[in-house]
Amino acid sequence: MKDFEPKIIAFLCNWCSYVAADAAGVSRLTQQPNARVIRVFCSGMVDPGYVIKAFASGADGVLVAGCHPGDCHYISGNRKALRRSRLLERLLLELGVEKGRFRLEWIAASESPRYVEVINTMTDDIRRLGPWVTSAPEAEAACLKRPSDLVLDGQRPAAATSG
Amino acid sequence: MSRKKLALFTATGCRTCENMVLDIHYQVQRLDRLFEIVFWPYALGSQLSDLDDLRSIDVCLVAGAIRTRSDRQAAEKLRGKSGLLVALGACAAFGGMPGLVNRSQASGNPPSPVAVDIDPQSEPVLGELEPQVAALGQTVAVDYVIPGCPPTQPLVWAAIQAALTGAGSNTHLSFAMSRLPKAVAQAIASGVLPPRGTVFAGEKAVCASCSRVKQEKGFSKVIRPFQDYESTGRCLLEQGLVCQGIATREGCGGLCTGVGIPCRGCFGKAEAVYDPGAKMVSAISSTFQTDEPAEIEALTAQFHDLVGTFYRYNLPTECALLRPRSRC
Repeated sequence: MKDFEPKIIAFLCNWCSYVAADAAGVSRLTQQPNARVIRVFCSGMVDPGYVIKAFASGADGVLVAGCHPGDCHYISGNRKALRRSRLLERLLLELGVEKGRFRLEWIAASESPRYVEVINTMTDDIRRLGPWVTSAPEAEAACLKRPSDLVLDGQRPAAATSG
Repeated sequence: MSRKKLALFTATGCRTCENMVLDIHYQVQRLDRLFEIVFWPYALGSQLSDLDDLRSIDVCLVAGAIRTRSDRQAAEKLRGKSGLLVALGACAAFGGMPGLVNRSQASGNPPSPVAVDIDPQSEPVLGELEPQVAALGQTVAVDYVIPGCPPTQPLVWAAIQAALTGAGSNTHLSFAMSRLPKAVAQAIASGVLPPRGTVFAGEKAVCASCSRVKQEKGFSKVIRPFQDYESTGRCLLEQGLVCQGIATREGCGGLCTGVGIPCRGCFGKAEAVYDPGAKMVSAISSTFQTDEPAEIEALTAQFHDLVGTFYRYNLPTECALLRPRSRC
């Protein structure tokens, strides 16, 4: 576990959080290099499917960050993100994704120290939790079980078309 | 035309899918004219050992999830003998309700009472279990899938016709074909085998065939089906019921929503949906009437057992986080 480096997917909104992340870099604030940033136009466009897909594809944590409520460039996108996040958190918890692996944060364009703090605490939290591993088994032969692989081709169409 | 050999089998399931094959109305007479039923434990009392004497089967309908080792053996045996293997019903197609047991991560058999002599005749014991419940398609190769719990008669009949490839159109079939993707319907009507892997249901979501009206209004209280709500007219989701039509494949014709019962998702996820749970979270929470954090919290707390609700029929295959990971 010693050399475990968490992979965090960070969906940052174009107008606030991404600017904060950018400014954090420009101002040379020290941050842990575990976040993979995906710039989105608004935190309100981050569908729960994106978050689930991130975890299914091997992410250890997902951060969604947007403007503070009331500051949204699109008026109410971040409120929509908030509405979704509570139910999504519960679903993730039931699916075995521990609390702390998914976070929704409000980070304004001027709050680059806040961005750094969120990334650092989240990385530390997840480092403590360890890698996210699904409880599902590894499909031992699912790759081989496609119809085209298994079936003896001469045999089947004959059975299907005879008569 | 010589009669084709048909076999039917249910692994772990309630056998309603097999009943549905008997329930195709007058077509059931034609079933006997078109098929020679060679193996059907439910109706003919066939034994699994009878399979050894059979040389080949043309069409095999298998219902039920793969739960025990004997389920797996039967599925493998039937696959080996069958020309076309069809997964019948939600359990065979997606793992079904028995698949919800995968949440408990059970490994091996549940503990049995120690030092008690059990007479297997009077007290049958459970066979050896697979580590996880699987859908038929995760165990053997499947040619066609008929989803539904149970599958509706028109789709069952359409699939049987397709397997025969000698289709003749009639009203029963044309209803099914209106629900099927165009290419599949045309294949059936012209007597060609539809492509392997065809799902005998629609492509869009149940909402596409639901007649209810959306008013773009939100809800402020979660309602369960036994409580009071408008059972005609308005969209059920907007009234606060957990209706999964938006994440579910159509093909049923909106049977449940038509009589005011919220969709439970028995046709599996719609083609364009990545994960049915995520889709439902998105659909439900965007119908919340409020934007206030405290009220959102209160509304969210009214939902129970999200996994058991959103993945009721398809946990082993369609839940992005709990289905077996493939390495390819």
